[in-house]
This record gives sequence, C-alpha cells and structure tokens, in this order.
Amino acid sequence: MASYHGNTRSGAPEIEQIITVIFAGCLHIILESRCPYVSFPKHSSEQILSFPFPSPSSSPSPPSSCSSSSIGLRDKWFKLAHRDCPAALENIGFSHQSNLEPMIVDVILVKRSGNWDLVNYSPKRGYARNLSGKEWYRCSSENDEFGCEIESEKIIERWVVQYESKQSGDNGGGVMGSNRATCKSSHELYKKSILLLRSLYATVRLLPAYKVFRDLISSAQIRAYNLGHRVSSFVEPFTSREEADMQSFVFPPLDTSCGRLCLSVVYFSSELDIISEPSTPISPQVIHEYVGSPMVEPLKRFTAVPVSQCSPSSSPFGRRHSWSYDLYRVSPSSVNPSPSPTYSESCASMPKQLSHRFPPASLRHHIPNETPPAHMKDPNFHEYWPSPTFSPSSSPSPSPPAYNPDSHILKALFGSESAPFGLSVSRLSPLASMPKNQLLPPSPSMGTCGHRVAKTDGYAGLYPTGSMVDKLFASAKEEAGKLSGVKQSSNSSSMKSFSRSPSRFSFQDNFDDSEFSGLLIPDDDDLPESSTRPDAAALFHLLEKAPPLRPDISITTNLVQDSKPVIEEISPESLLGESASLNFSSSEIESSKTTADAFTELVEYKKMKELLLKQCKGTQA
Amino acid sequence: MNCEVCQLKELEVEHFEIREVLRCILHTILFHRALGLVRPKDVDLELFEITYVQCGDMELERKIDEKIDQFIDRVEKHPNKKNQICLSFYEVKNKHATWFTNKVERLFWEHWYINLNVMQHPKTPSGKSHHSKLVVDPGVEARGARRAALEASLRDVLFQIIKFVNEKKDHVPSIPNVEGIPFPYEITISSSSDSAFGMDMFKRMLQTGHPTMLS
Repeated sequence: MASYHGNTRSGAPEIEQIITVIFAGCLHIILESRCPYVSFPKHSSEQILSFPFPSPSSSPSPPSSCSSSSIGLRDKWFKLAHRDCPAALENIGFSHQSNLEPMIVDVILVKRSGNWDLVNYSPKRGYARNLSGKEWYRCSSENDEFGCEIESEKIIERWVVQYESKQSGDNGGGVMGSNRATCKSSHELYKKSILLLRSLYATVRLLPAYKVFRDLISSAQIRAYNLGHRVSSFVEPFTSREEADMQSFVFPPLDTSCGRLCLSVVYFSSELDIISEPSTPISPQVIHEYVGSPMVEPLKRFTAVPVSQCSPSSSPFGRRHSWSYDLYRVSPSSVNPSPSPTYSESCASMPKQLSHRFPPASLRHHIPNETPPAHMKDPNFHEYWPSPTFSPSSSPSPSPPAYNPDSHILKALFGSESAPFGLSVSRLSPLASMPKNQLLPPSPSMGTCGHRVAKTDGYAGLYPTGSMVDKLFASAKEEAGKLSGVKQSSNSSSMKSFSRSPSRFSFQDNFDDSEFSGLLIPDDDDLPESSTRPDAAALFHLLEKAPPLRPDISITTNLVQDSKPVIEEISPESLLGESASLNFSSSEIESSKTTADAFTELVEYKKMKELLLKQCKGTQA
Repeated sequence: MNCEVCQLKELEVEHFEIREVLRCILHTILFHRALGLVRPKDVDLELFEITYVQCGDMELERKIDEKIDQFIDRVEKHPNKKNQICLSFYEVKNKHATWFTNKVERLFWEHWYINLNVMQHPKTPSGKSHHSKLVVDPGVEARGARRAALEASLRDVLFQIIKFVNEKKDHVPSIPNVEGIPFPYEITISSSSDSAFGMDMFKRMLQTGHPTMLS
C-alpha cells in the first residue's frame, strides 16, 4: 500500500485509466439521483476526452466514434447517455489522487428546523470546501440558501467504491478468484464496467433514498428536509446500532489483472417512514404588493370627502374599495399563522375579478422581499388589509362601524351588512322578516341599498373597482331623490323596474324582488307623512356630505331595466331620468351650495318623492 | 460458450398487475443487455413504488408490449395455470442459406425465465351478488398487504437480476458498436401444463449444449 503513494499508476495504464473513469462514472450516477443541485465536474469530462482508448474491431469503440452527436462525449462512456443534473453547486470539484484510495459517497438527510422565514430569506451561496487532500469534496446542504438552521443530519446511504490492487490487497486467492475470470484486457474490463454501471444505474433507483430525491425535485412544496452529500476517502464507520438498522448490497467485484474493483452500498430502509410524513405548507402571509393592488396603483380619490385614518372605513382606500372594507370587518388584520384551509374556500367565494388581489399562499413564497413603495408603508394602511383567512364563521357580529362623519356615506351605503355573501344572505332574511317600518331607519336606508347591492352582485360586499364606489355615491343621491319623490319615471314600468331591481347598480340577474322591493321603495305605510321631516333632515345631511358629482366619471351601469341604454356617464339627467322635474347640471352640482339652495333642492326632492309614491300607488292599484 | 439460465423468483399477481410486472422485469433485463449506446428512461410503476429503467427504444417498447398482450391472452385462455415468459439472447451462427432451407442457427447464450402465477378471482354466484360484494372483497387491508408483499417480491426479483448480471459476465459476447440492443433476442410464452413446455426447454438444451441451471 505504501508503495503506491509514489506510484499512482500501477499495473497496465489502460486498466488504471478505465478504473479512474469507473470511479467518476459511479460518482456521477450516484449524485445525479441523490442530489438535485449537483452537476458533474467539468474537468473530469476533460479527463475522459483525453483518455486514449484502444479500438480493436470487436471491442467497444471509444466515445469519440459513437454516432450520437447530441450527447456529450462524456456521456458516451459506458454507453450510457446521462441526462444533465438540474442544477449545479459552485466550486464543485474533486481531485482523485489515486485509484487505491476509496471513494466514499455519503448521502445525508438533512432536517431543517421549523422556524424559517421564506419571505425574508436572502439566498446564500452554497459552499464547498476541500478540507484536506484526503477529502475530495464537501458540499453543504441546501439549507444555507434559505437561512434555516439544520436540525439534524443523518447518513441514509453510504456508497463505497474501492479498488484494491493485487499487490496491496491480500484477500486470498480463493476469495478473489472464485468463478470469476479476471479481466486481462482493457476491452474486457470496459465491457464489464458497462454492465456494472448499468446495474448501478438501476440500483440507485430501487433504493429508498431515490424516493426522497424524487419528492424533493418534483414537489413544489418546500419540505422540512433535504438531501446532501459528502464525498471523502475516510469516514467514521457506523456504530453497531446504526448498522443493525441498515441494509447492504454488495455488487460482485470486478476483477482485473491488476486488482479488484468493489462497489457496495449501505442504506437505511426505515428512513423512508420518517421522510414520507406530509409536509405542512408554509403559513400564508399577506402580500401587500400584487398586480392591481391599490398600493401599487394610485387611486382616484374623492377630494371632497376627507377621510381620516382612524378606522378601516375611513382609510384612503376604504371608499373606493368597499369590498376591502367588508373584509376588514370580517377578520382583523393579523395574519393567521396556521395553515388556513378556509382561505381557499374564501377565495373560491370571491369574485373572479377579485381573486387576483389575493394570490394563493403558495405564490407568496416566490414574492421577493422588496421594499414597498413609500405610500404603502403607512402602518394604518397595512392594518386594513384583510388576513387571508376569512369566512362567514369568522365574521364579527353585525355591529355598525364606528361612526365617522367623513365616511358616513360609505357606512350608510354598506353599513354593517357588508359581510361575505353567506352572511349577508343570512342577514337579509331576518331583515326581510322584520316589520317594514323597521327596515328603513334614517341612516341605514343607504345600508339597505348596500344590502341589495351585495345580494344581487352575488359577492356580498365585495366590489371590484373604485368606479363602483362612484356608482354608489351617485346612487346615494338618487336614492335620496327617490325617497323624497325627486326621481320620477315616465311610466309605471320603469317604476316597477326600479322597484324590482336596483338596476342602476347593474346587479339585476340575481335580484330577488320579494326581498328587496319592500326595502327599496317604501310604501306609504312605511313612510308616513310625519316621517318626512326626519328623512329630509337625514337627506339633507347626506347631501351636504356627498361629494360633487363629476360629469367625467364613467361607469357602466343600467339604471333602469327599460329600454334605456346603458349609461356610461354619470350626469344628473341620466340619474333622475328624463321625466325628472328637477334638472341637475354639472355646473349646478359643482357650484357651491348655500343653505337656501339646499333647501330648494330638498323641496324638489320631496316633490319627486311624492310623485313616485303616487305612481307606486297607482301601479299597485 | 456457456448458456446461462436464470430462473427468477415466482410472483403471484392479479390479472390487472400482469402488464406492469412484466414490463418492469423485461425492461430491466433488456436494459442490462442493451449494451449499445442507450438513453435511459426512468419509468415509475403505477401500482407499485418502484422505478425501473428502460432503454429508451420505442421499437423495443412496442415489441415488449406485444408480447405482454400475447401473454395476457394466453392467461385468459389457460387460467389456473402457471405461466412463464422466457427471454432469450442468442447469437446467429451459420447464416448461409441452402437450396432447400434458409435455416439460421441460433446459439443461445442466456435464458431468463419469468414465472408468474396469475390469481383468478372466484366467480360469485348470481343469487348472492349483493352479499358477494361484501364477502369476496378481501378488504382494503388485505389487499394492501398483498400489494406490499408483491412489491417487495418484485423488488427482490429486480435485485436478483442485477446480481445475476454482475455475477455472470463472461458468457456475454463482445459488444458490437451499435446503438440499443446489440444482441438479438426472443421472447417465448409457455404454460406449466403445456406439453410443449418441456419440449421447448429440451430443444434449448440441445442447442446450447450444457446449460448451467441457476436458481
């Protein structure tokens, strides 16, 4: 053995060269099926290319003469076209000092600790260091990349490739010879090495660790374990306890004229049970930046409606995104740390146009840790974004939100009933069963409107765009006009259509007449004459706080179900209908209103209301 | 040249498992004998958690599937019999054709015998069809245990192939410089009760000289 330190190539040089290539081939086959992120060292392929292999007619031809042009020359050795490894670790390299040194490949199962943050991780480069000349290669596991702590490491496989020279190894002639013929020529050795590597290729796929490897490379989930490897010449032997749990498979040795090549593996078969535990998905986290996020896209704001940042409803985006307001109500802003199956259910109930606003939890893993823009750093804003888990069961009690005079319209529109669909439906029924005079309190009259909108929309308070808020503001004014008799329709059919559906909100298909007709159009019984004064006061207050209507705001809505076309622009004329006795003009709206003007409008509204009531009576009669 | 024979461990399979089991075994053997340049393809069994390797040769795949279909047909025609597939490798000798014959002598150098015992499902009486669904069904646990046992046996068979391939290498002829399978082969199907079954074996013994029987 000592004599070989100075003479690394004992025996026939061709045989030694084949043995060297066999070592490299074994390493490649083992690593490509055990470590997802290893690529074969480049310099070893150069060694293979430079190997002068004799080419008699009946022998396997050297790689250079193989016909396949799409396969690298390295791959043509041993007639096995390897596929490329999926990834490569940096600084991979090894030095093969001598064929007489064994090559020991340990496949290590690395378990990560549970506390690791995918969002805030910073990828770290894997390291590889050559500790000594004896240790060919050392590679860290992939845990470093994720900044996780390694909880435990366990060697689940140990491959040993060893070449014993005849001069050094004294295994006894009887054991060494047996019935196997010695490879006296390099061609014969090459043929047998092909068979050996074919067997190795099939064997690595039959062992339990291959399943772990496949799980790691195929699963999109990040598991709590990973596979690493270590290549060295000297390792600590297993303890007797470990050996008791391990099984071994020894390939029949390959005898040459100069020595014997032995390949064996010791592996755990029980490790599979530990690995096959279902991995828990990463807890969902709220992503504040996504396509279409109001944080990313500057939103139009109603300058006439100052908002405070004290409550969810008064957020700068609360008015535009009533759906978000609703979601605030459903659950607090805390992120649910546990896996939330309800999230997917909730997402399923969301409208399609909103689904993109809440990407699934799995996608959040891939969102880099970018610094959000300045306007999104508002802490008040963050608390308004809903947690990903919201469900009807988790919605709070239907208590009205904190009153904010600045967002009274919003609250009036949506009220406390802007809960998820299921909840709103359940809430509607008790409302429908309530006496009618209780259905229209002064302020929640707008709330009922929001109710109805939620119902017909089918999304229960989840409204997609800010234009909807504009519609609702417009409809608030229209509603005020109706209640006071301002809105007049030219015929009874339009009155019916109005009573039957809040078509101005463009939610008509799923509208249930029986539930809402009583809510929208108050009958005479509901609104006695004595209640006009409180209504008028509320209406006046509402109008005072309402933002000015802008003629350039475009919406798509059907205000009436009759033959009138879809109104694309809000204008006072379109809202009130052609038969409206009161003409609003943009100039009148935009002009500053005095108290007298307000009262004038109030009177006109009242007239319109009376007119509408009369028409209703006439229709019902 | 000696002819090596390998009798693989007998497997008890159900009818629907025949195709997967035979594909796995035949392709594993052929992968070890396709000593030309191959592009290995990993195939996962659907019924078992086993991954085996194919040569990546479509023509070979088609031929094997044909033979498996024939085997399945034979099983259906001859139930309650132990069926066997024999994969043999040979060399072609004396290709010269005479005036009356065009006989090509085949010199077999390896035989692989795959023994399958196909389980037959008991036929349920028509009058007890409702009860039979409850009784005949062995249950999920029993089925799972049987499946696990078959998977372990199949894995043993694959390791048996690997071990045999590495122990017996000297009888393998020189590898020609071709892609895929350089050695001609044939697949024959026989049943245990066939009168020709023994004759087939006898013929091969005569052709190959002194076979070495290995179990």
